[in-house]
Amino acid sequence: MGIKSFSRKRAIHIMLVYTGGCNGCDIEIVNAVLSPKYDIEQYNVFLTWNPREADILVVTGPVTRFNEDPLIKIYESIPDPKLVVAAGACAVMGGVYKNIHGDIPSEEIMGPVDNVIPVDAKIPGCAVRPKDILSGVVASLPVLLDK
Amino acid sequence: MLDEKKPRETIETEIPLGTVHPAALEPYRVRLFVEDEIVQEAEITIGVNHRGIERIMEGLPVEKANALTEKVCGICSNAHIWNSVRTAELGLGIEIPERASYIRIIMGELERLHSHFLYLGHGCEVLAHETFSMRAFYLRESIMDLLFMIGGNRVQYGCSIIGGVRPRCELTDERIRTLREKLDAVEKGAADFADRVTSDTVFISRIEGVGVIPQKQALKLEVTGPTLRATGVPKDFRTIMPDYEPFDFNVITQQDGDVKANLMMRVLEIFESIKIIRQALDNLPKGPVVDRSWEMVDCDTVHSYIEVPRGTLYHSYALEDGRIRGSIIRTPSMSNIGAMQYACIGDHVTDAQLCIVQCDPCFTCTDRAVEIIRR
Repeated sequence: MGIKSFSRKRAIHIMLVYTGGCNGCDIEIVNAVLSPKYDIEQYNVFLTWNPREADILVVTGPVTRFNEDPLIKIYESIPDPKLVVAAGACAVMGGVYKNIHGDIPSEEIMGPVDNVIPVDAKIPGCAVRPKDILSGVVASLPVLLDK
Repeated sequence: MLDEKKPRETIETEIPLGTVHPAALEPYRVRLFVEDEIVQEAEITIGVNHRGIERIMEGLPVEKANALTEKVCGICSNAHIWNSVRTAELGLGIEIPERASYIRIIMGELERLHSHFLYLGHGCEVLAHETFSMRAFYLRESIMDLLFMIGGNRVQYGCSIIGGVRPRCELTDERIRTLREKLDAVEKGAADFADRVTSDTVFISRIEGVGVIPQKQALKLEVTGPTLRATGVPKDFRTIMPDYEPFDFNVITQQDGDVKANLMMRVLEIFESIKIIRQALDNLPKGPVVDRSWEMVDCDTVHSYIEVPRGTLYHSYALEDGRIRGSIIRTPSMSNIGAMQYACIGDHVTDAQLCIVQCDPCFTCTDRAVEIIRR
């Protein structure tokens, strides 16, 4: 174990990027990390809003046209090794916005996240449940530490 | 000492925040024009989240479109599906069973509870009072459990369908018992929370007189919901909704229109919502929860308004061969954006985020405007 993974084991930082979903997954993730009931912080996983500090990038929402460039920019500014987790049906497969339409499909959706940046782990659900986030993030930790 | 003869040299600075910024949970752009650390002008720009929901709704079968409207917002999802279904029912002339109407109201009020607790949690977090924030989030969890129990999901519960509510959301005796027990606990917790907030002088001094929206300005800006009621206008759409006729509740108002008034507004509304749910549980009529004997006919554009946690929500569409035509959704945050911009003016730049949060913004649902550029 290198010195980086040794120190990282004690403080994994998640960065949440929100790319135009319905707010549901977003609140559930913040809720899972910060609120006293689920409290992912007890597994040494912390929420940060600074890409330079982050180890795991959690993306929610079907990347909208305006969010594509900021997402790539944020992804590039995270130092290696990094992990991308797509959380929620929209981030995994585009959700209702990409797959359901009437006469004309929506031209605003550039997602799913796979199309924009490489994804390492996917958490399904609409909206994702805090327990799934917990298991998804904790399960992806060994991948990050081995990198 | 300032020299009277020389005009004071001031430098107007612009502080742009966003669209993806650590201070804001949702992506939006705010430009603060600052002079001497006092905000002179604020400008909020949205449009980053535009998904074009109304456009993809065009031509969808009405049942499918109702399910799609639920995905407009992740906080007040029930309100959107309720109002969309209500629009179809008004157009097709469907009378829903009384029990279904009561269950819809119970879900709506539970949603108001969880939204207001989220507001309190988020507001206290912005105020950097972690303890209050944690308490609010903890109380919110029991509401989420109730919503999970009734709807089967924590966020998108899809309670209303055309003609009533989904049979999954039927309130059995066991569920009613759990509801009552949890509501008692939540009421006790909320009363404790209110006590702590009002007796904390440091906290109150931090929020008093910040982000004031005068009543005259609020009426001019067409502000809706608790943000308007916090300025002293007793305007609540629930009072004129036929669904809410059997219920006895008060319209809460506050006078000052500042952060304290907005915060207390939500705390007091929590108790009113619990009161409405208790009344609904006491007088819950017997009978079926869904009436599927309706027929699809064409109808002209129907307008429907309901009161959601953030204000008045508007849906409208016409039906043609069972398909949606010309859908329009107007969310309450749309008209509250003016209040958010106004509240920032005259306050310190560090309070700008607080002034925006006090109006309970939900920019995600608001992002639906289409700009037509003529070439």
